Amino acid sequence: MKKTIAFLLTACLLLLMLAGCGSGKSGTETTTQSGSTAQTAAKKTMVIGDTTFNSENWEETVDPHRTYNGWASIRYGVGETLVHYTDTMELEPWLATDWTNDGNCTWTVTLREGVKFSSGRMMDGAAVKQCLEHLLENHDRAPGDTKIVDVQADGQVLTITTSEPNPALMNYLGDPYGCIIDVDASDFDNGIVAGTGPYVVKELVTDDHLTLVPNTYYWDGTPKLDELTIRTLSNGDTLSAALQAGDIDAAYGMAYEAYPNFENGGYQFSAIQTSRAFFGSMNMTSPVIQDAAVRKAIAMGINKEGFVKTLLDGHGVPANGAFPDGFSTFGGEHVKTETYDPEGAKAILEEAGWVDSDGDGIREKDGVKLTIRWLTYPSRQELPLLAESAQASLKEIGMDVDINCTANRREFLADMDSWDIYASALVTAPSGDPQYFFTTSCVPGMSYNFGAYDNPEVTALIEELSKEFDIAKRGEIAVKLQQMILDDNAYVFCSFLQMNMISGENVKNYTAHACDYYQVTAELDIE
Amino acid sequence: MKKYIGKRLLQLIPVLLGITFLSFAMMRLAGSDTVTEMYGDKGAVSQQIIDAKRAELGLDRPFLVQYGSWLKGLLTGNMGVSYVSGKNVFQTFVSKLPATLLLTALSIVATVVISIPLGILAAVKHDRFTDYFLRVFSFVGNSLPNFFVALLLMQLFSIRWKLLPVISKGTTVQSAVLPTLTLAIAMSAKYMRQVRATVLEELNKDYVLGAKARGVRGSVTLWKSVLKSSMLTIVTLLALSIGSLLGGTAIIESIFMWDGVGKLAVDSITMRDYPMIQAYVVWMAIIYVMVNLITDILYHVLDPRIRLGVQEG
Repeated sequence: MKKTIAFLLTACLLLLMLAGCGSGKSGTETTTQSGSTAQTAAKKTMVIGDTTFNSENWEETVDPHRTYNGWASIRYGVGETLVHYTDTMELEPWLATDWTNDGNCTWTVTLREGVKFSSGRMMDGAAVKQCLEHLLENHDRAPGDTKIVDVQADGQVLTITTSEPNPALMNYLGDPYGCIIDVDASDFDNGIVAGTGPYVVKELVTDDHLTLVPNTYYWDGTPKLDELTIRTLSNGDTLSAALQAGDIDAAYGMAYEAYPNFENGGYQFSAIQTSRAFFGSMNMTSPVIQDAAVRKAIAMGINKEGFVKTLLDGHGVPANGAFPDGFSTFGGEHVKTETYDPEGAKAILEEAGWVDSDGDGIREKDGVKLTIRWLTYPSRQELPLLAESAQASLKEIGMDVDINCTANRREFLADMDSWDIYASALVTAPSGDPQYFFTTSCVPGMSYNFGAYDNPEVTALIEELSKEFDIAKRGEIAVKLQQMILDDNAYVFCSFLQMNMISGENVKNYTAHACDYYQVTAELDIE
Repeated sequence: MKKYIGKRLLQLIPVLLGITFLSFAMMRLAGSDTVTEMYGDKGAVSQQIIDAKRAELGLDRPFLVQYGSWLKGLLTGNMGVSYVSGKNVFQTFVSKLPATLLLTALSIVATVVISIPLGILAAVKHDRFTDYFLRVFSFVGNSLPNFFVALLLMQLFSIRWKLLPVISKGTTVQSAVLPTLTLAIAMSAKYMRQVRATVLEELNKDYVLGAKARGVRGSVTLWKSVLKSSMLTIVTLLALSIGSLLGGTAIIESIFMWDGVGKLAVDSITMRDYPMIQAYVVWMAIIYVMVNLITDILYHVLDPRIRLGVQEG
């Protein structure tokens, strides 16, 4: 009897656990057998595994007006912006066909005719005005970036007024948060919006998957896939195994060490250089860094080529300046920076009085060891490797690098006495315009000027850049600014991320773009 | 019995208060908050935006005020909204429970089915080939970390033989096979040794020898007496495992994309999503109190000499 009761209690415990499982709805879309078998077989479906589409990355929905969700909106073909970036990150028309500025605060934007939202509503001036107003009311960064204070609509023409001259306005409107959506037809509570892109959301389960179907109102061709699923995969090993097992057809965010699994046929890589820079910011308040000779020696002593070739296995590009080579009119090929020259670096340090008097391989001056406290963080796989590479190469010139690789780096950054170089990753030109980097990272007091860099000439030139509307002149100023901060050795730009997307051989037009936005287009196909 | 259960449930109140306060305090000591994590790697934003976001989420208030506000919400049945998704914490948390409950149940069943018969077999075949073989299996199973077992299973069942999916496709049995096996292998390896040791100890007791002398069949002694006496140890182990499994197995859930509470908890900790972390903490406290309570009752049922609420001398 008691044994039976014991058994029943145990069974109850297990049943209680199972009870909640009944409502567990499968996230997998099953193919219905309606229609002929031939029709079912012809249905084109594709699955992309993605390590970035998750709440951890602040991309929990496709609502562009919420934090960084716009990245998912534009990446997966739900939303489109007024302007599009070319491969060299220059602006070209997209939902807007033309834009002009009066040289001050007023912009006139002409919208493309014949574009409809996935809701069926026509994309006209009134709809775009409503969208921009909703953006400004709800998004955290858009009001500060765009400085828009008024939007007026007249047919397909928008008149936008900014609070102050903002030459980069159209660049900012090309940011993912600038996706144009039908506000009336969007379900903001669940983050599902009606955009103008080739695909429309069928189902969204945050941190699990996003199922898309073609937008029947799409204006620029016919989407090739009948159904596209974006699977959130937070684990790199799972992403690799899922692609090998055929669970997914393409992968975004594959770890470098998994590449060999796909290099022996059966898969294709789409690679492109991005403006995500891995660089060191010098702490200009640190006594050792205030020594110009030390900064110059660091710039000469870091082996960027070796880092990219050996530690990144060639999956990166050595950097000259803040922007990659060939980037618009202000790429890295226009600036001169220190090249790897350990002997030259040694000579500079000797001349400045840094000598190894005790023979331990580390130089000293006035009894102080030449130790550089290198602060970085682990969430970007390249950064710990960069720290190790710098540690090895700088040791050759007599510098001791003390690495502090921590997810808690903000705490250390706040204490300026705790670090000398902060190595980080930043997309230096997310909107294709150079002003963003200089304004945020080189102006005293700005949030990304971690090292308290303060050169009045640079600050004045940035101010000039912020008022210059002529694109060619903006490029010239950007080159000049890069050269000035490089001459000060306030930053050491080490490499740029080379983004790779891997897919099966049967996938067509799954192509990486320099801005990392346009992953899914109407041309994406599978055979 | 009712009085005992009531007393144990009342103990939940100080446990909940203590544990939620500690977790709240520890998250603050972690050195960053949701807003820092939000803007950390994404790009430069002005201090005004950061301050405004902190004020919006109430993170600019003193620690005790924040905790008091959360506690007041909890007492009125409101666990708040997620800092990340903006969705109701309770509903989000509950939506992840079915997956965790299913995985827990399947893993426990698989563990019991594998470890108890094999443990008994090893004990019965003491110091013979079968025993040695099973001990090696147990040793290897114990030594392999879960994530490694998961990768091995993926390599065999998904990549090589294409029998099962790598990533789960909803809370389905087919998708549950690999995560269940992964968890069951490690637990079975551990339990098999425990079952073997317990059964072996019982088999060496005088009453077994006496039964044998009286001509009682070995199988009868084993099933009727030895196993019953061994059940206490097995129940204790299972109770501990159920508690831990109900808390989710973050690594396994993450590897197989099994959408349970373990993964939710780790993601929430990464993003410093305090309301969601607190919901998880409350869940864990309730689980452990409840599982321990049920285990104590089971003890009493299995062995009436153990009286509820009284420790044996």
